[in-house]
Amino acid sequence: MLFLALRHLLSRKRQSLLTLVGILLGTAAYIAISGMMLGFQTFIIDQLINNDAHVRISAREDVITEHSLDADFFGQDALVHWLTPPAGRRDNAYILYPRAWTDRMESSPEVSAYAEQMIAQAIVSRAKVSTAARVIGVDPTKQIQVTNIQSYMTKGSFLDIGMSGNRILVGDGLLNKLGATVPETLMLSVGKGVAQSFKVVGSFHLGVKNADDTLIYGALTDIQTLNATPSRVSDIAVRLTNVEDAGSLASSWNILSQEKVQSWDQANEGIMSVFTTQDIVRNSMTISILIVAGFGIYNILSMAVNQKRREIAILRSMGYEAKDIVTLFLAQGLLLGAVGGLVGCLVGYGVCEVMARIPVANRGMGGNHMTIVFFPGIYGRGFLLAFLSAGFASFLPARAAGKLSPIEVIRGENS
Amino acid sequence: MGIELKDIKKSFGTPPTQVIRGISLNIELGEFVSFVGRSGCGKSTLLYIMSTLDEPTSGQVMIDGKEVTTLEQSELHLFRNLQMGFVFQFHHLLPELSAIENILMPAMKAKRSGERRPYAISLMEEFGLKDRLDHLPSQLSGGEQQRVAIARALVMEPKYLFADEPTGNLDSANGNGVMSLFKRVNKERRMSVIFVTHDTEFSKMATRRIEMSDGLLVS
Repeated sequence: MLFLALRHLLSRKRQSLLTLVGILLGTAAYIAISGMMLGFQTFIIDQLINNDAHVRISAREDVITEHSLDADFFGQDALVHWLTPPAGRRDNAYILYPRAWTDRMESSPEVSAYAEQMIAQAIVSRAKVSTAARVIGVDPTKQIQVTNIQSYMTKGSFLDIGMSGNRILVGDGLLNKLGATVPETLMLSVGKGVAQSFKVVGSFHLGVKNADDTLIYGALTDIQTLNATPSRVSDIAVRLTNVEDAGSLASSWNILSQEKVQSWDQANEGIMSVFTTQDIVRNSMTISILIVAGFGIYNILSMAVNQKRREIAILRSMGYEAKDIVTLFLAQGLLLGAVGGLVGCLVGYGVCEVMARIPVANRGMGGNHMTIVFFPGIYGRGFLLAFLSAGFASFLPARAAGKLSPIEVIRGENS
Repeated sequence: MGIELKDIKKSFGTPPTQVIRGISLNIELGEFVSFVGRSGCGKSTLLYIMSTLDEPTSGQVMIDGKEVTTLEQSELHLFRNLQMGFVFQFHHLLPELSAIENILMPAMKAKRSGERRPYAISLMEEFGLKDRLDHLPSQLSGGEQQRVAIARALVMEPKYLFADEPTGNLDSANGNGVMSLFKRVNKERRMSVIFVTHDTEFSKMATRRIEMSDGLLVS
């Protein structure tokens, strides 16, 4: 019946072409929008995953509440009413047993790398200019295994900070704010002890303004000394072999420990919900376009069934069964869906290629063009959407054609 | 063997109007039979019932000793495809297909189009359509279209050829041509030809003439 279906389609070229264009546009739109939106998501996720950690273990913030000290002073079962309830926050938040964590990291097959960190808020000054900064003390050899920071360096190498020696890497936004350059010396102070001088040995540009304007990397021991917390670790950044395991692994570790363990997606829940909304919008748009194209197919095939009543009757009189007639019309819809889907994929690919060449300012070291995803799954899904929607749209007219009684058509013709 | 009708009745509509009012009839293999009668006397309805396209309200239709109403749909379709040919008043050719493709449509259903093609071409030659092989129906005259429709009905070399007013839409020259073809296939191929006509002259060309009136056989 495929041969006859093809002839039917070719006999009404304009209608077939218009339907084909509808399906083609729907598929191409899906691919272009998906490529663009998923590209954007990939870019952001890449920033979130590769510039930070897949899983972050950090000291739990210990806030003192009314009954936090009851057990310490009066025993477990005491019922205490304070005249002036205690309040405040324990100082020097740090991971209590970092060694236990590092042992766990070493023995976990899911972990590909980890890096201990000491994170502190600091005031950075150059001459009379001062600004707030977030200082991260790291072991550079471990840190570059956890994040992609090395590829975002604009000057120097991440390894230049060494294991000690008061050398720092500064975000280029922060350098601009201070009017400083590489190499230069900046003063860092954490609000206790005296300010210390650090030499800027490099700069980086992550493409995330908030990070580039505030972030400073230094050697772990130097920042521990600056913060007056020698040997203390506030965070452990973990990279996993498979980033998909991050959520489940973080949740299971969270139960086992006093520390706060968060995966990258748990830490960026807000952004992930934006992505979910984007996905809903993207799929809704595509489905709308394909529904319109589907109605096109439905209308055309319904008209064709009406116009071809005589031919259907004569086919039935020759021994063609109802299922052959259903196949004849279903095949027309599926042919339109397959060709429209296939050409739509090619057009979508072309549109994506063009979009990928559009320059976009300040996209970080990942390139300064739009990030477009060419993942084959998008094309497969686009084709399948076109094919299936065409199949659904042609099913009803095809079924109606199959139900036509040949004798009633012939009798109607002759009367 | 042949076609045997036993007390066939057919009603239409609500309240039911009886169009065929109890007809019993035998048609032997190789007979050339015409049905005549006024419009609405039930001759076309009877033809469609005996050709399995329609079902009787009551009664039995036996073809080659088989009760057709008891046949599975797939058996019935196969039987129609291999043993029956139909010619209608309006040629009902598929407009997208060439003359030869139209003729081979029953063979395509049986997946024997390759095997039947030489025979289809020989039929076209026999019917004076040799140079019309690849013409579309719209490029053929009314008489040529009807001859293509007859060739299509014959391509599987069926035992039975049913025709409903095959000359009704043709001028007398083409009508005569069609009837001559029917006569020839009946004589040469021993095919049962059963046709319905208004035309008394054409009906006389059959070896057996059955007249109908008000849903009953008159003679």
